[in-house]
Amino acid sequence: MYPAPIEAYFAPKTIEEALRHRVDAGDDAVFIAGGMSLMQAMKARLMAPRALVDLNEVEELSGLARGPRGVTVRPLTRYRELARTTALRGALQAIGDAAATVGDRQVRNAGTIGGSLCWNYVASCMPNVCLCLDATLVLTSLAGGERAVPIDEFLIGPLETALGDDELLIEIKFPPSSDRGTGSAYRKIGATVDGLPIVGIAALIEVDEAGICMDARIGVGGVLPTAQRFDGVSALLRGRPGTDAAFAEAARAAADAIETQTDHLASAHYRKVLIRTLGRDVLAEAHARAMGW
Amino acid sequence: MNRTITVTVNGEAYERTVPIRLLLVDFIRDACGLTGTHIGCSYEGRCGACTVLIEGRALKSCMKLAVQADGKQITTIEGLRQGDKLHRLQETFRRYHALQCGFCTSGILMNAVDFLNENINPSEEDVRRALVGNLCRCTGYSHIVEAILAASAMRHGLKPVPPPAETGDAP
Repeated sequence: MYPAPIEAYFAPKTIEEALRHRVDAGDDAVFIAGGMSLMQAMKARLMAPRALVDLNEVEELSGLARGPRGVTVRPLTRYRELARTTALRGALQAIGDAAATVGDRQVRNAGTIGGSLCWNYVASCMPNVCLCLDATLVLTSLAGGERAVPIDEFLIGPLETALGDDELLIEIKFPPSSDRGTGSAYRKIGATVDGLPIVGIAALIEVDEAGICMDARIGVGGVLPTAQRFDGVSALLRGRPGTDAAFAEAARAAADAIETQTDHLASAHYRKVLIRTLGRDVLAEAHARAMGW
Repeated sequence: MNRTITVTVNGEAYERTVPIRLLLVDFIRDACGLTGTHIGCSYEGRCGACTVLIEGRALKSCMKLAVQADGKQITTIEGLRQGDKLHRLQETFRRYHALQCGFCTSGILMNAVDFLNENINPSEEDVRRALVGNLCRCTGYSHIVEAILAASAMRHGLKPVPPPAETGDAP
Protein backbone atom coordinates (compact mmCIF):
# COMPACT_ATOMS: atom_id res chain seq x y z
CA MET A 1 0.00 0.00 0.00
CA TYR A 2 2.11 2.90 -1.27
CA PRO A 3 1.52 5.37 -4.11
CA ALA A 4 3.45 4.86 -7.33
CA PRO A 5 5.94 7.66 -8.12
CA ILE A 6 4.21 10.95 -8.94
CA GLU A 7 5.93 13.35 -11.33
CA ALA A 8 4.24 16.64 -10.54
CA TYR A 9 2.17 18.24 -7.80
CA PHE A 10 0.34 21.54 -7.99
CA ALA A 11 -1.49 23.40 -5.23
CA PRO A 12 -3.38 26.20 -7.02
CA LYS A 13 -5.22 28.96 -5.17
CA THR A 14 -7.99 29.68 -7.67
CA ILE A 15 -10.40 27.68 -9.81
CA GLU A 16 -8.89 29.06 -13.00
CA GLU A 17 -5.37 28.15 -11.94
CA ALA A 18 -6.60 24.65 -11.03
CA LEU A 19 -8.22 24.16 -14.44
CA ARG A 20 -5.09 25.40 -16.21
CA HIS A 21 -2.83 23.01 -14.29
CA ARG A 22 -5.21 20.17 -15.06
CA VAL A 23 -5.09 20.88 -18.80
CA ASP A 24 -1.32 21.50 -18.85
CA ALA A 25 -0.59 18.34 -16.89
CA GLY A 26 -2.31 16.19 -19.51
CA ASP A 27 -4.25 12.96 -19.43
CA ASP A 28 -2.68 11.31 -16.44
CA ALA A 29 -3.39 14.15 -14.04
CA VAL A 30 -6.15 14.10 -11.44
CA PHE A 31 -7.72 16.60 -9.08
CA ILE A 32 -7.44 15.67 -5.43
CA ALA A 33 -9.88 17.02 -2.81
CA GLY A 34 -10.07 15.45 0.67
CA GLY A 35 -8.28 12.41 -0.70
CA MET A 36 -10.17 9.92 1.48
CA SER A 37 -10.93 7.68 -1.51
CA LEU A 38 -8.32 8.79 -4.03
CA MET A 39 -5.37 8.29 -1.68
CA GLN A 40 -6.61 4.77 -0.94
CA ALA A 41 -6.86 4.05 -4.67
CA MET A 42 -3.37 5.45 -5.25
CA LYS A 43 -1.85 3.46 -2.38
CA ALA A 44 -3.51 0.28 -3.66
CA ARG A 45 -2.12 1.15 -7.14
CA LEU A 46 -5.60 1.12 -8.62
CA MET A 47 -4.62 4.57 -9.83
CA ALA A 48 -1.16 5.89 -10.63
CA PRO A 49 -1.62 9.52 -11.68
CA ARG A 50 1.38 11.24 -13.23
CA ALA A 51 0.37 14.57 -11.70
CA LEU A 52 -1.86 15.76 -8.87
CA VAL A 53 -3.74 19.04 -8.85
CA ASP A 54 -4.58 19.61 -5.19
CA LEU A 55 -7.79 21.60 -4.63
CA ASN A 56 -7.39 22.04 -0.88
CA GLU A 57 -5.94 25.56 -1.14
CA VAL A 58 -8.67 26.83 -3.47
CA GLU A 59 -10.74 28.87 -1.03
CA GLU A 60 -13.51 29.67 -3.50
CA LEU A 61 -14.33 25.94 -3.66
CA SER A 62 -15.21 25.78 0.04
CA GLY A 63 -18.20 26.84 2.12
CA LEU A 64 -21.95 27.03 1.76
CA ALA A 65 -24.55 29.75 1.44
CA ARG A 66 -28.33 29.93 1.72
CA GLY A 67 -30.06 32.35 -0.63
CA PRO A 68 -33.51 33.01 -2.09
CA ARG A 69 -32.81 30.52 -4.87
CA GLY A 70 -31.89 27.72 -2.54
CA VAL A 71 -28.74 26.49 -0.87
CA THR A 72 -25.39 26.32 -2.63
CA VAL A 73 -22.77 23.99 -1.19
CA ARG A 74 -19.28 24.26 -2.59
CA PRO A 75 -17.57 20.94 -3.28
CA LEU A 76 -14.59 21.25 -0.92
CA THR A 77 -16.88 21.66 2.09
CA ARG A 78 -15.84 18.98 4.54
CA TYR A 79 -18.11 16.50 6.32
CA ARG A 80 -17.21 18.04 9.65
CA GLU A 81 -18.63 21.38 8.59
CA LEU A 82 -21.69 19.84 6.90
CA ALA A 83 -22.45 17.93 10.10
CA ARG A 84 -22.21 21.03 12.27
CA THR A 85 -23.68 23.84 10.19
CA THR A 86 -27.13 25.25 10.97
CA ALA A 87 -27.56 26.33 7.33
CA LEU A 88 -28.80 22.86 6.35
CA ARG A 89 -31.44 22.47 9.07
CA GLY A 90 -34.94 21.73 7.83
CA ALA A 91 -35.38 20.51 4.30
CA LEU A 92 -31.71 19.61 3.79
CA GLN A 93 -31.01 18.01 7.15
CA ALA A 94 -30.35 14.65 5.46
CA ILE A 95 -26.99 16.05 4.35
CA GLY A 96 -26.03 16.71 7.97
CA ASP A 97 -27.26 13.25 9.05
CA ALA A 98 -25.08 11.63 6.42
CA ALA A 99 -22.03 13.83 6.98
CA ALA A 100 -22.10 13.16 10.73
CA THR A 101 -21.78 9.40 10.21
CA VAL A 102 -19.25 9.14 7.38
CA GLY A 103 -16.23 7.02 8.27
CA ASP A 104 -14.71 8.39 11.45
CA ARG A 105 -13.70 11.77 12.93
CA GLN A 106 -10.44 11.88 11.00
CA VAL A 107 -12.24 11.15 7.72
CA ARG A 108 -14.88 13.80 8.46
CA ASN A 109 -12.13 16.35 9.13
CA ALA A 110 -10.76 15.84 5.62
CA GLY A 111 -13.37 14.28 3.33
CA THR A 112 -15.51 16.50 1.11
CA ILE A 113 -19.00 16.33 -0.37
CA GLY A 114 -17.70 17.11 -3.87
CA GLY A 115 -15.04 14.44 -3.68
CA SER A 116 -17.64 11.85 -2.73
CA LEU A 117 -19.96 12.87 -5.59
CA CYS A 118 -17.19 12.79 -8.22
CA TRP A 119 -15.90 9.44 -6.95
CA ASN A 120 -19.43 7.95 -6.85
CA TYR A 121 -18.55 4.79 -4.97
CA VAL A 122 -21.43 2.34 -4.63
CA ALA A 123 -21.22 2.20 -0.83
CA SER A 124 -21.29 5.92 -0.16
CA CYS A 125 -23.76 8.41 1.30
CA MET A 126 -23.50 11.74 -0.51
CA PRO A 127 -24.53 10.65 -4.04
CA ASN A 128 -27.69 9.13 -2.62
CA VAL A 129 -28.52 12.09 -0.39
CA CYS A 130 -27.96 14.61 -3.20
CA LEU A 131 -30.09 12.47 -5.53
CA CYS A 132 -32.97 12.46 -3.05
CA LEU A 133 -32.65 16.21 -2.45
CA ASP A 134 -32.66 16.93 -6.19
CA ALA A 135 -29.26 18.63 -6.43
CA THR A 136 -27.95 20.30 -9.56
CA LEU A 137 -24.20 20.20 -10.10
CA VAL A 138 -22.35 23.04 -11.76
CA LEU A 139 -19.30 21.85 -13.72
CA THR A 140 -16.76 24.03 -15.42
CA SER A 141 -13.82 23.67 -17.79
CA LEU A 142 -11.51 26.05 -19.62
CA ALA A 143 -12.64 24.84 -23.01
CA GLY A 144 -16.36 24.44 -22.41
CA GLY A 145 -17.23 26.93 -19.70
CA GLU A 146 -19.94 26.20 -17.15
CA ARG A 147 -22.76 23.71 -17.43
CA ALA A 148 -25.42 22.64 -14.96
CA VAL A 149 -26.12 18.91 -14.72
CA PRO A 150 -29.02 17.39 -12.74
CA ILE A 151 -27.71 14.85 -10.24
CA ASP A 152 -29.59 11.93 -11.83
CA GLU A 153 -27.71 12.58 -15.09
CA PHE A 154 -24.41 13.07 -13.26
CA LEU A 155 -24.38 9.72 -11.44
CA ILE A 156 -23.80 7.07 -14.08
CA GLY A 157 -22.42 3.93 -12.44
CA PRO A 158 -19.81 2.58 -10.03
CA LEU A 159 -16.98 5.15 -9.95
CA GLU A 160 -18.47 6.75 -13.03
CA THR A 161 -20.01 10.20 -13.47
CA ALA A 162 -20.75 12.69 -16.24
CA LEU A 163 -17.74 14.76 -15.21
CA GLY A 164 -15.45 15.36 -18.19
CA ASP A 165 -11.69 14.80 -17.91
CA ASP A 166 -10.91 18.51 -17.90
CA GLU A 167 -13.97 19.48 -15.87
CA LEU A 168 -14.22 20.57 -12.26
CA LEU A 169 -17.28 20.45 -10.03
CA ILE A 170 -17.65 23.97 -8.60
CA GLU A 171 -21.13 24.10 -7.04
CA ILE A 172 -23.80 21.78 -5.68
CA LYS A 173 -27.14 23.57 -5.73
CA PHE A 174 -30.26 22.51 -3.85
CA PRO A 175 -33.66 23.89 -4.84
CA PRO A 176 -35.45 26.24 -2.45
CA SER A 177 -38.14 24.78 -0.22
CA SER A 178 -40.17 26.07 2.66
CA ASP A 179 -38.43 24.71 5.73
CA ARG A 180 -41.79 24.91 7.43
CA GLY A 181 -43.47 21.90 5.98
CA THR A 182 -40.47 20.11 4.47
CA GLY A 183 -38.21 17.65 6.24
CA SER A 184 -35.48 15.25 5.19
CA ALA A 185 -33.48 12.54 6.92
CA TYR A 186 -30.79 9.95 6.21
CA ARG A 187 -29.72 6.72 7.88
CA LYS A 188 -27.57 3.80 6.86
CA ILE A 189 -26.71 0.30 7.94
CA GLY A 190 -23.07 -0.70 7.55
CA ALA A 191 -20.95 -3.60 8.73
CA THR A 192 -19.42 -1.37 11.44
CA VAL A 193 -20.43 1.83 13.25
CA ASP A 194 -20.31 4.71 10.75
CA GLY A 195 -19.03 2.25 8.13
CA LEU A 196 -19.76 2.17 4.43
CA PRO A 197 -23.48 1.65 3.83
CA ILE A 198 -24.76 -1.81 2.90
CA VAL A 199 -27.92 0.17 2.41
CA GLY A 200 -28.41 3.89 3.02
CA ILE A 201 -31.78 5.62 2.82
CA ALA A 202 -32.47 9.31 2.28
CA ALA A 203 -36.02 10.64 2.41
CA LEU A 204 -37.74 13.95 1.89
CA ILE A 205 -41.35 14.71 2.79
CA GLU A 206 -43.45 17.82 2.30
CA VAL A 207 -46.59 18.24 4.42
CA ASP A 208 -49.43 20.74 4.62
CA GLU A 209 -50.46 22.47 7.83
CA ALA A 210 -52.60 19.54 8.95
CA GLY A 211 -49.68 17.13 8.52
CA ILE A 212 -51.02 15.57 5.32
CA CYS A 213 -48.25 14.46 2.95
CA MET A 214 -48.06 16.60 -0.19
CA ASP A 215 -44.94 15.12 -1.74
CA ALA A 216 -42.28 12.55 -0.88
CA ARG A 217 -39.11 11.07 -2.32
CA ILE A 218 -36.78 8.31 -1.26
CA GLY A 219 -33.18 7.70 -2.30
CA VAL A 220 -31.47 4.34 -1.86
CA GLY A 221 -27.70 3.93 -1.76
CA GLY A 222 -25.49 0.86 -1.54
CA VAL A 223 -27.16 -0.63 -4.64
CA LEU A 224 -25.83 -1.15 -8.16
CA PRO A 225 -25.18 0.47 -10.55
CA THR A 226 -25.52 3.69 -8.54
CA ALA A 227 -27.81 5.40 -6.00
CA GLN A 228 -31.44 5.23 -7.06
CA ARG A 229 -34.40 7.46 -6.39
CA PHE A 230 -37.89 6.03 -6.04
CA ASP A 231 -40.48 8.72 -6.66
CA GLY A 232 -43.31 6.18 -6.37
CA VAL A 233 -43.54 6.95 -2.66
CA SER A 234 -45.06 10.30 -3.62
CA ALA A 235 -48.15 8.74 -5.21
CA LEU A 236 -48.48 6.37 -2.24
CA LEU A 237 -48.23 9.05 0.44
CA ARG A 238 -49.87 12.06 -1.21
CA GLY A 239 -53.07 13.07 0.56
CA ARG A 240 -52.45 10.74 3.50
CA PRO A 241 -51.53 11.59 7.08
CA GLY A 242 -48.07 10.49 8.15
CA THR A 243 -48.71 7.19 9.88
CA ASP A 244 -46.41 4.25 10.46
CA ALA A 245 -48.65 2.12 8.25
CA ALA A 246 -48.36 4.60 5.37
CA PHE A 247 -44.59 4.80 5.70
CA ALA A 248 -44.26 1.02 5.90
CA GLU A 249 -46.35 0.66 2.74
CA ALA A 250 -44.26 3.26 0.90
CA ALA A 251 -40.97 1.69 1.97
CA ARG A 252 -42.23 -1.75 0.92
CA ALA A 253 -43.01 -0.35 -2.53
CA ALA A 254 -39.50 1.11 -2.73
CA ALA A 255 -37.97 -2.24 -1.75
CA ASP A 256 -40.07 -4.01 -4.41
CA ALA A 257 -39.13 -1.49 -7.10
CA ILE A 258 -35.40 -1.23 -6.51
CA GLU A 259 -33.11 -3.97 -7.73
CA THR A 260 -30.54 -5.10 -5.18
CA GLN A 261 -27.38 -7.16 -5.44
CA THR A 262 -25.72 -9.88 -3.40
CA ASP A 263 -22.12 -9.37 -2.29
CA HIS A 264 -19.85 -10.41 0.58
CA LEU A 265 -21.64 -8.08 3.00
CA ALA A 266 -25.29 -8.85 2.33
CA SER A 267 -27.65 -10.79 0.13
CA ALA A 268 -29.98 -9.10 -2.33
CA HIS A 269 -32.89 -10.20 -0.15
CA TYR A 270 -31.38 -8.74 3.01
CA ARG A 271 -30.84 -5.44 1.22
CA LYS A 272 -34.56 -5.38 0.40
CA VAL A 273 -35.38 -6.04 4.05
CA LEU A 274 -33.15 -3.11 4.99
CA ILE A 275 -34.84 -0.84 2.44
CA ARG A 276 -38.21 -1.79 3.98
CA THR A 277 -37.33 -1.31 7.63
CA LEU A 278 -34.85 1.53 7.34
CA GLY A 279 -37.05 3.20 4.72
CA ARG A 280 -40.05 3.20 7.06
CA ASP A 281 -38.00 4.74 9.87
CA VAL A 282 -36.34 7.39 7.71
CA LEU A 283 -39.66 8.42 6.16
CA ALA A 284 -41.09 8.77 9.67
CA GLU A 285 -38.13 10.87 10.74
CA ALA A 286 -38.36 13.12 7.67
CA HIS A 287 -42.06 13.54 8.37
CA ALA A 288 -41.44 14.41 12.02
CA ARG A 289 -38.98 17.07 10.92
CA ALA A 290 -41.41 18.41 8.33
CA MET A 291 -43.93 18.76 11.16
CA GLY A 292 -41.39 20.56 13.31
CA TRP A 293 -41.57 17.85 16.00
CA MET B 1 9.48 13.76 -8.72
CA ASN B 2 10.98 15.61 -5.75
CA ARG B 3 9.88 18.79 -4.11
CA THR B 4 11.30 20.93 -1.33
CA ILE B 5 8.83 21.63 1.43
CA THR B 6 8.83 23.30 4.82
CA VAL B 7 6.57 21.82 7.44
CA THR B 8 6.37 23.13 10.99
CA VAL B 9 6.14 20.22 13.39
CA ASN B 10 5.66 20.97 17.08
CA GLY B 11 6.81 24.54 16.47
CA GLU B 12 10.02 23.58 14.68
CA ALA B 13 10.40 24.16 10.91
CA TYR B 14 11.66 21.17 8.92
CA GLU B 15 12.81 21.96 5.37
CA ARG B 16 13.34 18.79 3.37
CA THR B 17 13.42 17.69 -0.25
CA VAL B 18 11.07 14.74 -0.57
CA PRO B 19 9.54 12.55 -3.27
CA ILE B 20 6.01 13.71 -4.12
CA ARG B 21 4.65 10.28 -3.29
CA LEU B 22 6.06 10.30 0.25
CA LEU B 23 3.27 9.89 2.77
CA LEU B 24 3.13 12.46 5.56
CA VAL B 25 3.52 9.78 8.23
CA ASP B 26 6.88 8.76 6.74
CA PHE B 27 7.95 12.40 6.56
CA ILE B 28 7.18 12.79 10.25
CA ARG B 29 8.90 9.55 11.26
CA ASP B 30 11.88 9.44 8.88
CA ALA B 31 12.56 13.03 7.80
CA CYS B 32 11.78 14.64 11.16
CA GLY B 33 12.79 11.65 13.29
CA LEU B 34 9.62 11.86 15.35
CA THR B 35 8.76 8.21 15.80
CA GLY B 36 5.99 8.67 18.35
CA THR B 37 3.59 8.74 15.40
CA HIS B 38 3.01 5.07 14.62
CA ILE B 39 2.10 2.94 11.62
CA GLY B 40 -0.26 0.22 12.83
CA CYS B 41 -1.71 -0.96 9.52
CA SER B 42 -0.01 -0.93 6.13
CA TYR B 43 -0.85 2.71 5.35
CA GLU B 44 -4.47 1.72 4.75
CA GLY B 45 -6.02 4.45 6.86
CA ARG B 46 -7.62 1.83 9.07
CA CYS B 47 -5.88 1.87 12.43
CA GLY B 48 -5.57 5.58 13.31
CA ALA B 49 -2.17 5.09 15.02
CA CYS B 50 -0.67 7.76 12.73
CA THR B 51 -3.22 10.43 13.72
CA VAL B 52 -1.66 13.89 14.10
CA LEU B 53 -3.05 17.41 14.22
CA ILE B 54 -2.74 19.36 10.99
CA GLU B 55 -3.68 22.99 11.59
CA GLY B 56 -5.33 21.76 14.78
CA ARG B 57 -7.49 19.03 13.20
CA ALA B 58 -6.98 15.31 13.73
CA LEU B 59 -6.09 13.52 10.51
CA LYS B 60 -4.48 10.19 9.74
CA SER B 61 -1.07 11.10 8.40
CA CYS B 62 -0.99 8.09 6.05
CA MET B 63 -3.91 9.66 4.19
CA LYS B 64 -1.94 12.75 3.16
CA LEU B 65 1.17 13.29 1.11
CA ALA B 66 3.99 15.19 2.78
CA VAL B 67 3.87 17.81 -0.01
CA GLN B 68 0.29 18.58 0.99
CA ALA B 69 1.56 19.70 4.41
CA ASP B 70 3.94 22.29 2.90
CA GLY B 71 3.59 25.49 4.94
CA LYS B 72 1.32 23.84 7.49
CA GLN B 73 1.52 23.49 11.28
CA ILE B 74 1.55 19.94 12.61
CA THR B 75 1.38 18.70 16.16
CA THR B 76 2.48 15.17 17.00
CA ILE B 77 2.50 13.28 20.29
CA GLU B 78 5.97 14.69 21.00
CA GLY B 79 4.51 18.22 20.98
CA LEU B 80 1.64 17.53 23.33
CA ARG B 81 3.26 18.16 26.69
CA GLN B 82 4.32 21.62 27.71
CA GLY B 83 7.84 21.50 29.16
CA ASP B 84 7.78 18.97 31.99
CA LYS B 85 4.03 19.07 32.27
CA LEU B 86 2.11 16.33 30.53
CA HIS B 87 -1.09 17.17 28.69
CA ARG B 88 -4.19 16.55 30.81
CA LEU B 89 -5.13 13.62 28.54
CA GLN B 90 -1.68 12.08 28.94
CA GLU B 91 -2.13 12.34 32.72
CA THR B 92 -5.54 10.70 32.71
CA PHE B 93 -4.38 7.97 30.30
CA ARG B 94 -1.66 7.12 32.81
CA ARG B 95 -3.91 7.34 35.86
CA TYR B 96 -6.75 5.32 34.31
CA HIS B 97 -4.45 2.70 32.81
CA ALA B 98 -5.78 3.54 29.35
CA LEU B 99 -3.04 1.63 27.53
CA GLN B 100 -1.43 -1.75 27.59
CA CYS B 101 1.04 -2.17 24.73
CA GLY B 102 0.75 1.53 23.92
CA PHE B 103 1.08 1.21 20.16
CA CYS B 104 -2.24 2.89 19.38
CA THR B 105 -1.96 5.41 22.20
CA SER B 106 -0.32 8.33 20.43
CA GLY B 107 -2.94 8.31 17.68
CA ILE B 108 -5.77 8.04 20.16
CA LEU B 109 -4.39 10.91 22.22
CA MET B 110 -4.10 13.21 19.18
CA ASN B 111 -7.64 12.36 18.13
CA ALA B 112 -8.89 12.90 21.68
CA VAL B 113 -7.22 16.32 21.90
CA ASP B 114 -9.09 17.48 18.79
CA PHE B 115 -12.30 15.81 20.02
CA LEU B 116 -12.25 17.56 23.41
CA ASN B 117 -11.39 20.87 21.73
CA GLU B 118 -14.67 20.76 19.87
CA ASN B 119 -16.86 18.94 22.39
CA ILE B 120 -17.34 20.83 25.62
CA ASN B 121 -19.17 18.17 27.58
CA PRO B 122 -19.23 14.85 25.73
CA SER B 123 -21.25 11.83 26.82
CA GLU B 124 -19.78 8.33 27.01
CA GLU B 125 -21.51 7.56 23.71
CA ASP B 126 -19.94 10.65 22.11
CA VAL B 127 -16.50 9.47 23.24
CA ARG B 128 -17.03 5.92 21.97
CA ARG B 129 -18.19 7.22 18.61
CA ALA B 130 -15.19 9.55 18.44
CA LEU B 131 -12.89 6.52 18.71
CA VAL B 132 -14.27 4.72 15.64
CA GLY B 133 -11.18 5.63 13.62
CA ASN B 134 -8.68 4.33 16.17
CA LEU B 135 -8.09 0.64 16.71
CA CYS B 136 -6.86 -0.65 20.07
CA ARG B 137 -6.41 -4.41 20.28
CA CYS B 138 -5.48 -4.62 23.99
CA THR B 139 -7.75 -2.61 26.22
CA GLY B 140 -11.28 -3.13 24.98
CA TYR B 141 -11.52 0.68 25.07
CA SER B 142 -13.17 0.91 28.50
CA HIS B 143 -10.23 2.57 30.23
CA ILE B 144 -9.59 4.80 27.22
CA VAL B 145 -13.18 6.06 27.36
CA GLU B 146 -12.90 6.62 31.12
CA ALA B 147 -9.63 8.53 30.72
CA ILE B 148 -11.09 10.83 28.07
CA LEU B 149 -14.21 11.45 30.15
CA ALA B 150 -12.02 12.14 33.18
CA ALA B 151 -9.98 14.70 31.24
CA SER B 152 -13.20 16.33 30.11
CA ALA B 153 -14.53 16.49 33.67
CA MET B 154 -11.27 17.89 35.03
CA ARG B 155 -11.38 20.64 32.45
CA HIS B 156 -14.62 21.82 34.04
CA GLY B 157 -13.09 21.65 37.52
CA LEU B 158 -15.13 18.54 38.29
CA LYS B 159 -13.77 15.57 40.16
CA PRO B 160 -13.83 12.62 37.78
CA VAL B 161 -14.85 9.10 38.77
CA PRO B 162 -11.57 7.72 40.15
CA PRO B 163 -10.02 4.64 38.53
CA PRO B 164 -10.72 1.33 40.32
CA ALA B 165 -7.06 0.99 41.33
CA GLU B 166 -7.42 4.11 43.49
CA THR B 167 -10.63 3.04 45.23
CA GLY B 168 -9.62 -0.50 46.05
CA ASP B 169 -12.31 -1.87 43.70
CA ALA B 170 -9.81 -3.35 41.31
CA PRO B 171 -10.13 -7.12 40.95
